[in-house]
Amino acid sequence: MAGTVTVRFYALLRRQLKTAAIEVEADGGSLLELLTRAEELAGQGFLDELLDPGNELLTGTIILVNGENVRLKDYLNTRVRAGDTVDLFSPAGGG
Amino acid sequence: MNGWMGKIIQIDLGSNRQQALPVTPETLRRFLGGRGLGVKLYTDLCPDPLDPFAAENALIFMTGPLTGTVMTSGRYQVVSRSPLTGTICDSSSGGSFGAVLKSAGLDGLVIRGRADHPVYLFINDGGIEVRDAADLWGLNTQQTQKAIHERTPAKTSVACIGPAGENRVPFAAIMNDRDRAAGRGGMGAIMGSKNLKAVAASGNRAVVIADPEAYQAMNARLDRAVDKNPVTGKSLQVLGTPVLVNVINAHGMFPTRNFRSGVFNDAEGISGEKIAETLLQRQSACYKCPIGCGRTTKTRNRQGEGPEYETVWAFGAQLGISDLTAIAEANYACNELGLDTITMGSTIGCAMELHEAGALGEKMLWGDANRLVGWVQDTACRRGFGAELGLGSRRLAAKYGRPELAMQVKGMEIPAYDPRGAQGMALSYATSNRGGCHMRGYMIMPEILGHPVFLDRFSTAGKPEIVALFQDIAAVVDSAILCRFLQFAMGISTFSEMLRAVTGLDFSDEELLTAGRRIYTLERLFNNRAGFMRADDTLPPRFFQEEFQTGSSRHRRVRLEEMLDAYYAVRGWDAQGAPSAATLAELGL
Repeated sequence: MAGTVTVRFYALLRRQLKTAAIEVEADGGSLLELLTRAEELAGQGFLDELLDPGNELLTGTIILVNGENVRLKDYLNTRVRAGDTVDLFSPAGGG
Repeated sequence: MNGWMGKIIQIDLGSNRQQALPVTPETLRRFLGGRGLGVKLYTDLCPDPLDPFAAENALIFMTGPLTGTVMTSGRYQVVSRSPLTGTICDSSSGGSFGAVLKSAGLDGLVIRGRADHPVYLFINDGGIEVRDAADLWGLNTQQTQKAIHERTPAKTSVACIGPAGENRVPFAAIMNDRDRAAGRGGMGAIMGSKNLKAVAASGNRAVVIADPEAYQAMNARLDRAVDKNPVTGKSLQVLGTPVLVNVINAHGMFPTRNFRSGVFNDAEGISGEKIAETLLQRQSACYKCPIGCGRTTKTRNRQGEGPEYETVWAFGAQLGISDLTAIAEANYACNELGLDTITMGSTIGCAMELHEAGALGEKMLWGDANRLVGWVQDTACRRGFGAELGLGSRRLAAKYGRPELAMQVKGMEIPAYDPRGAQGMALSYATSNRGGCHMRGYMIMPEILGHPVFLDRFSTAGKPEIVALFQDIAAVVDSAILCRFLQFAMGISTFSEMLRAVTGLDFSDEELLTAGRRIYTLERLFNNRAGFMRADDTLPPRFFQEEFQTGSSRHRRVRLEEMLDAYYAVRGWDAQGAPSAATLAELGL
């Protein structure tokens, strides 16, 4: 049965999109496919805040799937399934 | 001389005698300035550990060769032996005081002795005047700065203490440029012990630049680099340091209720995103800073600066408090009274756990936002239970028979990153020369934020080498002196380029890293003499024994034993953590 993935926006992404989270229909595909659909749902582009033109993660971009950094999984090829949570942080720092 | 002013003055407040301290060009090159040269001067003047409050103890204000020149160069460092930890300590502050102190003609100021009544120092054009401060004693830091501004030329910058420093609270801060703090380690208490209310500086002396053409071209290029970088050019400007609340909470390592959980359920309500929507009035910037991470904020009744990430945590998640107004107002109170917010909040959290555990009768309850500002005020004034909070967590928990409930290393409270979530940060805390501090080697950059490269936070492989490298780079930055946030946009090769352009000396990256290692090792030598050895390079038992059950750092413990021997080997220290004779010879110590 179809379900959704919760995509949460943080840092400057949230200010840009003026929303904290959206639900995106899951199809068991890759993270990149999911984020592309999320972009359409959000009504405006945001992937250029996270990825370079070659779709590589920018230095400082943090994407967590169920709390785990995708750099420790399969990067943008990480599979996402119904019920998963994806946290998106545009590059941020402090101390 | 290029870069340096060529003048360090020692003043004895007991006799008012002043003398120039000669420093050779070789020493400048080997220790740079700021933290490095300050530690070198301190350990030469006070080789045997003194009671930090002894009259003969030295308190050293330092600028660096880059101070007053390139971007973010308004900072200064204060060096002495910490009354909180007993270790060597340097504390750093932004604003403009460092640049102004240098424009007054000084690379550094060494203060010894004790005045027989309250005084402040006025430094102008290389001269130092000891002025009466009897009527300033008891004023808060903002009142003090205002009063001294009325007695000094325009553009004077003031570094001062509030009641907490006067009362020798061992985590009293030195405050300058209204709300900038040399916060950690209690340098303000040492000022208080010397009856020194403030140091005011004013001057017009320019720093001589060795290669003005290269300097100009470099500055233009670096301005563009900072502007282009998403952290320095955007995130820090718009959201400030509290942007990390959600980042660290999502990693399950946002210390909650004295480090018993890594997830704070109300994190959203105290996040940088929320502050930007609610309290924030405008951003503010230190001297020559293109970033501007400072927050000018307002609650219904009060206004001030901050809270920064660490403070949001210390008065928020650490205490189970989600009332942003209470957090901001406790921060304002710390700034006014002159207290380190990290130690203050962590100690209150320790008291709350002591009470919950039945070890402490005083009613300290999680989430009690209403009493927060009162606890801060009582601590600064050492009244009621505030006198006990003013001990800091280590002494407080020991007094009530539960030393393991103090979340500290070598007596300094650990800040807002639970070490179970980042093994490199754990090693960095354990081996920090001033105790539980994130700034000696900020492993959160690679382990969480992915700068300059991303590292697996749960792995210990390679961490000893990287922690030592980060500690050495930090020592260089603190000695040059620059703001650490530049490290999001540039690295050691840029810092060596800056030093070459300003001083005209042919600094290489390698020479600077060796200087960083030399500084770190010299600090370690002092700590060894003060009794700190391997057994002190550790963390509270909680981090080795207890696991979180929720969040993305669940089921993890710190694995220090996998890293410590290798770290000592990288450092050239023996199994007890003492630098070997070969290491000392190699570094010329």
